[in-house]
Amino acid sequence: MAAGLLPPVPRELPALTDLRLEVRAFLAQQVRDGVFVPHVDTWLTRWDRDFTRELGRRGWLGMVIPEEYGGRGRTYLERFVVTEELLVAGAPVAAHWIAERQIGPSLLTYGTEEQKQAFLPAISRGELVFGIGMSEPDSGSDLASVRTRAERVDGGWRLTGTKVWTSGAHEADAFFALARTETLDPVRRHDGLSQFIVDLRGPDVHIRPIVSMDGDHHFNEVHLDGVFVPDYRVLGRLGAGWTQVTSELAFERSGPERVLSTFQLLASAAQAMEDGRLPLDEGLGRLVARVAGLHQMSFAVSHALEAHEPAETAAAVVKVLGTTTEGDIADYVDGLTATGWVEDEELFALLHAAILQRPGFTLRGGTNEILRGVIARGLGMR
Amino acid sequence: MPPTSPASSASSASSAQPARPLVELHGADPDLVGVLSELFAAYRSGRPAPTHLVDLDRDLWAHLEELGLSRLTGSPERGGSGGTWADAAALLGIAAGAAAPVPLVEHDVLGGWLLEAAGLPDDGGLRTVCRPDPSGVALNVTWAREATHVVALWEDRDEWRVADVPLDHVALTERRNIAGEPSDTVEFDVDELEAGVVVSRGVGEQFHLRGALARSAQNVGAMERIVEIVLRHVAERTQFGRPIGRFQAVQHLISDIAAETALGRAATDAAVARASATNWTDPGMLFAVGVAKSCVGHGSSVVVRGAHQVLGAIGTTLEHELHTLTKPILARRSEYGSLHEWDETLTSLAVSAGHDRLWSLMTTGRAKAGRPSGHAVGR
Repeated sequence: MAAGLLPPVPRELPALTDLRLEVRAFLAQQVRDGVFVPHVDTWLTRWDRDFTRELGRRGWLGMVIPEEYGGRGRTYLERFVVTEELLVAGAPVAAHWIAERQIGPSLLTYGTEEQKQAFLPAISRGELVFGIGMSEPDSGSDLASVRTRAERVDGGWRLTGTKVWTSGAHEADAFFALARTETLDPVRRHDGLSQFIVDLRGPDVHIRPIVSMDGDHHFNEVHLDGVFVPDYRVLGRLGAGWTQVTSELAFERSGPERVLSTFQLLASAAQAMEDGRLPLDEGLGRLVARVAGLHQMSFAVSHALEAHEPAETAAAVVKVLGTTTEGDIADYVDGLTATGWVEDEELFALLHAAILQRPGFTLRGGTNEILRGVIARGLGMR
Repeated sequence: MPPTSPASSASSASSAQPARPLVELHGADPDLVGVLSELFAAYRSGRPAPTHLVDLDRDLWAHLEELGLSRLTGSPERGGSGGTWADAAALLGIAAGAAAPVPLVEHDVLGGWLLEAAGLPDDGGLRTVCRPDPSGVALNVTWAREATHVVALWEDRDEWRVADVPLDHVALTERRNIAGEPSDTVEFDVDELEAGVVVSRGVGEQFHLRGALARSAQNVGAMERIVEIVLRHVAERTQFGRPIGRFQAVQHLISDIAAETALGRAATDAAVARASATNWTDPGMLFAVGVAKSCVGHGSSVVVRGAHQVLGAIGTTLEHELHTLTKPILARRSEYGSLHEWDETLTSLAVSAGHDRLWSLMTTGRAKAGRPSGHAVGR
């Protein structure tokens, strides 16, 4: 039912707004102090381990991790507003993004007591940096086709295969690798997959850069050449990797980073119109409305997740519309600019980064084509 | 309905309970929604075939009067039902989804409200509502010919006045909008407008916002019904040996329709919640209503075009339900400010907020925390 696609939209009360203002004031001071220069798509492209540790000290990491594991024991809604403020400010958040968004929640759900004790406190302090080991050279949207295999050996498993598009693997400490623990059964393709916690600094792990078209290095190939993973670093249940990865993707898809990656460009365009550096144009209002509406939708999804209510379809809607819109912001501002305005270096730095990052917006974490299929399934068409 | 605070009661992954509630919900009364859904589903299945000219359904209106729904938002002391804005938005959406030709916005949400604000008596006769220009002429006054009185909001030398003018005191030229609904030209005697009761500036400024949000609530309700029609059609219609809903291209078209509808719903409900929570006193209402009008308005382009594409040639015929929804959507989208005007309003709010205050504007409706924005609302 269409009317049921969207969970109820809650109204934010002062307790959340006060938290926003606290984070906002801190970030504004950090900018004034020259700690960071606001940028676009910072959750992929801006690493700053010192900044990440400072967020940990202030209690803005590990927010949904219980205090017994070194977290802050707060709610998804509180984490949601902190996340929004960090993205909107264009702060350097890439170092902790993956751990904070999906590794922590996954460990809480599927991890052993020993794993929780081993990883969650360091994640909450911003000291342990994680990556994602899902995609492979021949496995993009069709994730069940992964070929990395895990072979049983004494006391553990030996992993062999190649993972790609691993953001920050060259800086990260560990990742969750999805691997086949049983041979592929064409009838039950989702069976026989398992997740392993792999030390990226260990032996037999070889990391090679994949340089993006702007010359920057965020992505990597990770070659696992018979990497030994002890039994106690298997995540969750053997053979249940598909279910676990799917639940991880629910966290990966629904967040405000699917809407706000180019917010700094939108804000700078508004300022440029105020200053007469860009023509006043009502297309800005249309995009502002869309981002504001998506903020409400994303908040509604977060509220549903908090209450353990299903929101998978709504999360896919946020990601399809949000990633399209954040790219449209780049294209819109590009359409307003003319060459010869080169004195506006700040705006152009944001614009050019946004345009070159844009193709990734609608690919990463599930392409919009795959997500439209998810929506179609939610509507009963599949 | 009193607001509920689920975040303080729902079981949570975290151990600590927040000391203060984080959010509250301002949804419509679920019992009311149940009654409305049944009522309008019955209306839809029992009504005559669609026509290209649409007149007031007096039987339905009488039924709504009996049920206390024709003055849902009126105060109980004046014979109203005391419904919230969330209740009203639910009624408007569900009724619009059934393409019910009844003047709920004109009579209750705007007309009844203006009479109440002015302290004018309400004899229960059908009202419509308008803002005449300085010469006393109002264009596109929906349902005017069917009303007993026209409630006029009149801006006169920095004062706002409300006059409840009997229909036989005005010169009326019958016209119809693109949906075939009465959308008449009404010419008043200016003396009668000047004799209206003075109301506060707030009433004058809110009128436009209330009208725009009511139209958005109607349109998003109609869009939700279109999603149902489209889904039913693609499950039943078979081509190349299978239901067309099995084709990926069709699935993607419908995903986009549903996504835009959901975005319009989120933006509208957020504005309605703000209106309900603050009784329209929140200075962020202008921004919130603009977001709803813009999201629903632009989204309706995707929905109307996509739905007609999915339904094929059959969807363009008079006998099909689709046009009873798409045409009113297009008519209502231009009322209480065009899409262009609302995008301009949002642009000017965003540009005045500038780089450092844009996000504050987008989360609170105000560029500066705790301070009213003070923007006047133009026509």
